[in-house]
Amino acid sequence: MLMRRVARIGAYRPQGVTGSPPFPLPDEDEFTLAATAVERAWSGERGEPGPVEVHLLGEFPAVADWGFAALLGRAANVTRHSGEAAELTNTLRAVEEGEGGPALLVAVELPGTKPKKSARTPARAGGAVAFRLDTTEEPHPFTLPKMAVDRTAVATALKVGEGARELPGSVVLVGDWEQGTEAGLAVRENPPRERVEVDTRAVSEGAYVPHPRYLENLPSRWRFLAEACQACQGTTFPARGVCRRCGRRDALTTVSLPYDGGRVVAVTTVGKGGQPTEFDAQVESQGPYDVALVELARGMRVTLQVTNARAGTLHVGDRVNTMLRRLYPMEGEWRYGRKAVPASTGTASKLPS
Amino acid sequence: MTHRAAIVGAGHTRFGVLDEGPRSLLRSAVEAAFASVDRSADPRDVREAFLATLGFGGHQIGNSAAALAEEAGLVGIPVTRVENACASGGFALRSAIGALASGVSPLVLVVGMEKMTDVSNARRRYWLGVSGDTEWERAAGLTFAGVYGLIASRYFAEHGDASEALVEVAVKNHANGALNPNAHFQKAVSREQVRAAPRVARPLGLYDCCPVSDGAAALLLAPPELAHRYTDAPVYVDATGAGTDYLAVQERRDLTRFRATQRAAHEAFRWAGWHRSDVSFLEVHDCFTIAELLALEDLGFATPGEAAALTLSGATRRTGRIPVNPDGGLKAKGHPIGATGVSQAYEVFLQLRRAAGTRQVPNAEHALTHNVGGAGATAAVALFSVG
Repeated sequence: MLMRRVARIGAYRPQGVTGSPPFPLPDEDEFTLAATAVERAWSGERGEPGPVEVHLLGEFPAVADWGFAALLGRAANVTRHSGEAAELTNTLRAVEEGEGGPALLVAVELPGTKPKKSARTPARAGGAVAFRLDTTEEPHPFTLPKMAVDRTAVATALKVGEGARELPGSVVLVGDWEQGTEAGLAVRENPPRERVEVDTRAVSEGAYVPHPRYLENLPSRWRFLAEACQACQGTTFPARGVCRRCGRRDALTTVSLPYDGGRVVAVTTVGKGGQPTEFDAQVESQGPYDVALVELARGMRVTLQVTNARAGTLHVGDRVNTMLRRLYPMEGEWRYGRKAVPASTGTASKLPS
Repeated sequence: MTHRAAIVGAGHTRFGVLDEGPRSLLRSAVEAAFASVDRSADPRDVREAFLATLGFGGHQIGNSAAALAEEAGLVGIPVTRVENACASGGFALRSAIGALASGVSPLVLVVGMEKMTDVSNARRRYWLGVSGDTEWERAAGLTFAGVYGLIASRYFAEHGDASEALVEVAVKNHANGALNPNAHFQKAVSREQVRAAPRVARPLGLYDCCPVSDGAAALLLAPPELAHRYTDAPVYVDATGAGTDYLAVQERRDLTRFRATQRAAHEAFRWAGWHRSDVSFLEVHDCFTIAELLALEDLGFATPGEAAALTLSGATRRTGRIPVNPDGGLKAKGHPIGATGVSQAYEVFLQLRRAAGTRQVPNAEHALTHNVGGAGATAAVALFSVG
């Protein structure tokens, strides 16, 4: 029987703001945590043809139905799983034994965006792990994590390391997976916690970007899709179907610019009153923010809001990595896009590849 | 564009937070332009008109040309609205000259107008961003202040900290505005006030930003050979130039140069056959103080990085070697978006006719106007003289 094996693992936990405890920020949700884990698990190959099976464990917002396909630049068959013990065991078996093509198993847990003073919330709460499975001849040393169910699993996890203490929710990540010593998924039988929903209709005065226009250039905004001209060797970013150097339309191939290691070319701190109206709520609750012009590759630049850093601390010449985050709510949904994080906080996963 | 045109009349409303609505502003500016014509002009001589306006706040966002025809008493003639964001006025002037060049005669009317202060603060900030890039810059949390903040950050990184030059631009333009009875701000400010103002987009503070203003301006243009029907003292537009650039600054190779301005200036000077040293004073687009430094460099009056030293030397003051923005500029006079480019030509009309009163630039004979849309995505330059 053709078996899928773990080919690569990507993980991401909230980093917090430099110098503060690593709590999730308001621009992070289950989708953005998982998106970063998935990018790390997928590693480099963006925009390949062929569908990928995406199995989701945890409470994902609606964007997950189409967002992973957009993130990877390929078709995706997304299945949401409840995370209940019985189903999870079956799911893992099905994913391992499934025929052909790559699959992603993505688990996420996000206990909340605001730390509570009642100290039951662990210091490093939440995170996402993505397992890329394939019928590879050189499997990752990990086998698909063996499931342990209920309290026993949590107890085991506590012995192994952090990350699985009294987290609410149904899916829990266990083990010191960032060190690569253990990786696992556990199931809690607790009922899902009550979630606080942000009113995404609140912004009505923002620069109106209707959903179709939001999707129009998503490959360039989410995947840094650029076009290389085979005629003149020029690169055009964002991609728009015409070479900016020679004007030809018939010799373009798509390329992706690097997500990490960009250099800050210019940076400003947007203070109160300097923000577009769709960022009013953010400024009100979190204060000023930095926006940087980042050079991703020679001559290829992108304007990004800075996150995971105190305003005013980023400087020209600094290195940044980029991650998918929430931008602002509009038309009853969150709009997502890449943001810059200081390279010192947004380092790549230490997991073995 | 090499075709010459003569300005035979020019009108201007007060700029600032005004009670008048958009239609009253149109009417006032047009009436003032007709009243300024020395030998009177028959409204029936106006055969075409151009209206520069963004339609800020959404008043009459489409077909506002007909409203101008009504308020000017010119219903029937062709009117075209020109919208190139903050450069609408400069491009409307260029369109009017194009109409004269194609035989429309004897008069063409150009009006620039914006009503900006009658909408909520939130709605105003929404509109201030609509002329920039929405998919990248806006989504990253930038308005124009933020984009110019990035530009200033880059300018400082390349040429050293120019904060004091920015302070000088604000202080100088406020001092000039204090002498302009139409200016939004008619009050000088101190260096300390400018330095102490809250930061809007680092390194730019409140006094680095132009205000949000209401106002209108109008010009009556004639073919040069017919100018003397209307006045003995016409002011000529000798040449114009214009250009475009990428909307988002991330696509430009150089953040501290506006290629649209460079192209526009190159075209205008080439057509006019002028040297930079021929120019007596400049009206430049100082929507943010850093923009005045960029303008001096892009227009060819300072080499890259040297506009700061030129400014600090006092050369750009009203009585300096090369006065810049004797009317107070956008910074102090105000910036009713569509009106600005037309207002710059109005100031030239006064200055070259030695009619600028207490703010008269000594020996003003040749002038340049420079009008920018967005963060340099569109730009129009015009050169003026009295002969």
